[in-house]
Amino acid sequence: MLAVAIAIGFVILSLLSPAFLTEYNLYVMLRSFCVVLVVAFAQMLTLAVGQLNLAIGALGGLVAIAVGGMMEKLGFPISAAVGLGLLIGLGGGLANGLLTVRTGINGFIITLATASVFTGINLGVTESIPFYNLPGPFVAFGVGRFFAVPYLLIPPVLAALLLALFLARTAPGRYLLAVGGNAHAAELSGIPRDRIIVLAHALSGLLAAIGAILAEAQLGSAQPTIGADWLVMSFAAPIIGGAALTGGHISVAATALAVVLVVLIQNGMVLAKVDPYWVQFLLGALILAAVGLNRLRAVRVEAA
Amino acid sequence: MRVTIDSIGKSFPGVVALGGVSFEVHPGEIHALMGENGAGKSTLIKIVTGVYRPDRGRLLIDGAAANFASPRDAIAAGISAVHQERNLIPRFSVGENIMIENLPIRRGLVDYGEAHAQARRFLDMIDPSIDTRAEVRRLSVAQMQIVEIAKALSLEAGLLLLDEPTASITDHEAQALFAVLRRLRSEGKAIVFVSHKLEEVIALCDRVTVLRDGKVAAAGELIAAMSRSRIVSAMIGREERVAEIGPRTFARGTPALEVRGLATSLGHKDVSFTLRQGEILGLYGLVGSGRTELARALIGDARILAGEIRLKGAPISIADVSDAVRRHRIGYISEDRKNEGLILAHPIRANIAITIWPRLASRLGLLTRRLEERAATPLARKLDIRTPSLEQQVGKLSGGNQQKVSIAKWLAASVDVLIIDEPTVGIDIRTKTAIHELIAEITRAGVSVMLISSDMPEMITLADRILVMRDFALVGEIENERRYEPMSRRIMGFIHAGLEAGESQQEASHG
Amino acid sequence: MSLASDIELRSGRRAWLSEQSGAIGLAGIVIIFWIVFASWAPGFVSPFNLFAISRTLAIDIVIGFSTMVVLATGGMNLAIGAIGVCSVMLAGYLMQKLGVPYPLALTVALLLGALLGWANGVAIVRSGVNSFIITLASASLYTGGMLILSKAVIYNALPPAIAAFGRMRFGFVSPLLIVALAIGAALVVLFRFTALGREILAAGANARAAQLSGVPVSRAIIVAHTLSGLLAAAAGLMLLSRLGAAMPSIGEDWLLPSFLAPVLGGALLSGGSISVVGAMIGALLVTTIRSGLLIMQVGNFWLLLFLGMMLLLAVLLDRYRTVYAERRSLGRRA
Repeated sequence: MLAVAIAIGFVILSLLSPAFLTEYNLYVMLRSFCVVLVVAFAQMLTLAVGQLNLAIGALGGLVAIAVGGMMEKLGFPISAAVGLGLLIGLGGGLANGLLTVRTGINGFIITLATASVFTGINLGVTESIPFYNLPGPFVAFGVGRFFAVPYLLIPPVLAALLLALFLARTAPGRYLLAVGGNAHAAELSGIPRDRIIVLAHALSGLLAAIGAILAEAQLGSAQPTIGADWLVMSFAAPIIGGAALTGGHISVAATALAVVLVVLIQNGMVLAKVDPYWVQFLLGALILAAVGLNRLRAVRVEAA
Repeated sequence: MRVTIDSIGKSFPGVVALGGVSFEVHPGEIHALMGENGAGKSTLIKIVTGVYRPDRGRLLIDGAAANFASPRDAIAAGISAVHQERNLIPRFSVGENIMIENLPIRRGLVDYGEAHAQARRFLDMIDPSIDTRAEVRRLSVAQMQIVEIAKALSLEAGLLLLDEPTASITDHEAQALFAVLRRLRSEGKAIVFVSHKLEEVIALCDRVTVLRDGKVAAAGELIAAMSRSRIVSAMIGREERVAEIGPRTFARGTPALEVRGLATSLGHKDVSFTLRQGEILGLYGLVGSGRTELARALIGDARILAGEIRLKGAPISIADVSDAVRRHRIGYISEDRKNEGLILAHPIRANIAITIWPRLASRLGLLTRRLEERAATPLARKLDIRTPSLEQQVGKLSGGNQQKVSIAKWLAASVDVLIIDEPTVGIDIRTKTAIHELIAEITRAGVSVMLISSDMPEMITLADRILVMRDFALVGEIENERRYEPMSRRIMGFIHAGLEAGESQQEASHG
Repeated sequence: MSLASDIELRSGRRAWLSEQSGAIGLAGIVIIFWIVFASWAPGFVSPFNLFAISRTLAIDIVIGFSTMVVLATGGMNLAIGAIGVCSVMLAGYLMQKLGVPYPLALTVALLLGALLGWANGVAIVRSGVNSFIITLASASLYTGGMLILSKAVIYNALPPAIAAFGRMRFGFVSPLLIVALAIGAALVVLFRFTALGREILAAGANARAAQLSGVPVSRAIIVAHTLSGLLAAAAGLMLLSRLGAAMPSIGEDWLLPSFLAPVLGGALLSGGSISVVGAMIGALLVTTIRSGLLIMQVGNFWLLLFLGMMLLLAVLLDRYRTVYAERRSLGRRA
């Protein structure tokens, strides 16, 4: 159904706007797709185990300025800075997971608190001043393209494929979905539930870091505000993609399609020169519609 | 594998589930574990499988102390189990569910071909008709039960525990299971078998241990040397048998609640009965026969599709639970006190007064603690709720006192009809009698009670008339003569007549 | 009889004290912070700063209440900031563009807040989806709608009475704080002394048990969300009075403080247990730290870090307190 909606949107947009199918516009669209996709995956993994992560954006912001700072102020080579940035993301996610599991406190409040801590460190260190002088090759990667395909698209696509493989074909991936599907049953089957929840949070942190570094390359600078507007988006895509909110039922492909749909709508609005505020409005409406549709389907299944 | 259970004890807030239980399971035997509801069987199984940790005592595996921190440790030690509750991942395939503890991995990836092939092997032992690639959530209850069994078999464990494995499967499938169990026995495996069906136990098992009230009533007796009646009396404990509440003089009063041709969204078809004023009407049936669901429909918690409900002769329609309670004065005490009955974190006072908050409030709309106390205190005294203060959190009371609070809140609401679901689950024998007397007493004050219970002695002690339910329909009605043997035989007769009919039907649909 | 009631009374008093032990401990922490700030930065207790604190505190308290009333049902409301800003912008529009007199404009704005909250409640009850997702989406919807309609303009030519109220002072106390305290008193009455308030708490503590006891749980949830919307609107309008202008950026940073105040004050996230007084002291702690850091010129940048650590510490402490209490009561029985 999502694919149909996307196809229709694609046809309408190409008919209505001659600018839509130009190589440059496709490049722009694919480029804006990258960060959102990874961010949606970051949330999807926590939703998979029946948790949520409010700290994705905050952690992303922290990683972005850390990587920027390491490259600009400390003169680290790109690979080292990126590697350390990914480690920070992994560590932040690990902290979220361990705190949630060890204390048994609702993940919402834990990640609300850690989000504030991450943002606090970010702002305290940078005092809101971005790093503008990033190394040339890093920035070049952010703008480079092969016809309409931006280089920036490579990491998210790789991440999507690996994630799909991980969830479908590896033991930890299956355990992750099993814990989300029925935590008690998973535990009785000898699956280490707590460790799996920590794993989901850690991977979520790692993906948030990837998203942050991509955003940084895309912008060509390390803005402390990177991640500030990720929250709604991160939930929107997995939910529109049909992730059951109780966990256990997620789909990499459906989430990716939902991101395509949202990006398409965004792009269409830009082309139609509509007020950009409509995007925010529609995002909320889309989530509610998806939730309502899910509900309707559940009722119909019950009645049948 | 030799498993020694050495004076194991386990308590939960308000109830001692196991009080020092000892017995031994030998390799190459099928050991029956029997006892009434709440005797401690499931708790014991959860301790052996690492779900709970014992408060006292030791578990020895082949003579060595085992200390399981989680089910994972128990599985690693070679113990597998079929638990009473469903433990499958709904959106996973049958094959993956069976193999989840041991997914075959090739080059780092799950080898589904191999997984389904192996799952097939274990599934075939019981029922070859289930597709290993089907999603578990699409299966019937019986099929899920079979998947659970196959999953437990797949571990090829040294000790296999089965908690009511035959509760929802057909006789045919049960026979297949028994054949597998006999073969495992001959291979030297130890098997613990929990069932309430005596015939099964006698036909299958070598020895039996009986639990009663968290203690061992018979330890590892040879089945061949035990008669049917000796097992039953060990379970019930003749000398501690629920005290008779005395002959009930109950006048055939006017109908309090009449139900005619009721059909519900939960699956009831054409249910009709009459509950008379001051009567205790029993509703007996196996778990899953639709008794609790009937109660839910009567209090407006499920949609009524057809039929008529009359209260004191006048037809009524029930919009929702609040309507049933506040307008029609029908109350319901759930068997699940913790999740559906009481608000454990709130004080006794609030739990009793909750049903009448809007009525209690003063003319200004204010509801003070004092008003609640005034309503709750006489009831707490009358029902003899043992507590230092009405401000005590209900969660800190014993099971029996919690149940008294449940009854008190409906007395506060001055209900005409009270449906009580399993009133004495998790309540020790002494308090049980007090609860029974209490139920009898409130009917003398004019309340009409519908009693749902799986506890046959309780049913025969309390009820004036007994309805038997099977597959969401009423199949029999018996005037209670209060003599245990003939009554229980007649009730089980209704149920078994149905079971056999149901099975042949199911088989027909299989073929 | 007299003996029995005496015992009940005494244990009642003890129960009240133990109920308030969290709030008392929290008050202790606040006092320590005040001593520290006052001795390190004398400007902290200057009349001007006290007045500034009382104005900010008033708004923080009402924002906290707005979340607290839905926490009572075991739900949450992420749309508080969005509802607040919608009400503020509507009030601004009515007064500046249409010349509506301010009492009417403020009333209509409050009603809008209640309406948006009511819509949240209805959507939650009807869909059966958890309040987190519904209010996350509605926050986006409301904010987007507000921006589309208002074109993100600032209304700063408001009737002078609005800003005058914000500048008014009794000694070093702003009348805004009196409004907040009055709302607090009303909430105490609601949750302690009315059937409706008790029903909301019962629905939060154990929805199923409450429902089977005849409590209309869906209605309780809708009422709580309506009230939450109303309080969010009230907080927005109080902020409007403090700022003297209606700005579309209002409410963006409400999420953290809205949870901090009630959670520090001892509200259970799982529902059924809140403390009005605790939430007020929680808000006081947040305001104190914010003002103290500002006065000590640590900079606003580190504030979030402090608040985040504070929240973590608070929930961790609370966790260990309950675990300890459970262990003690179990030990006593055995």
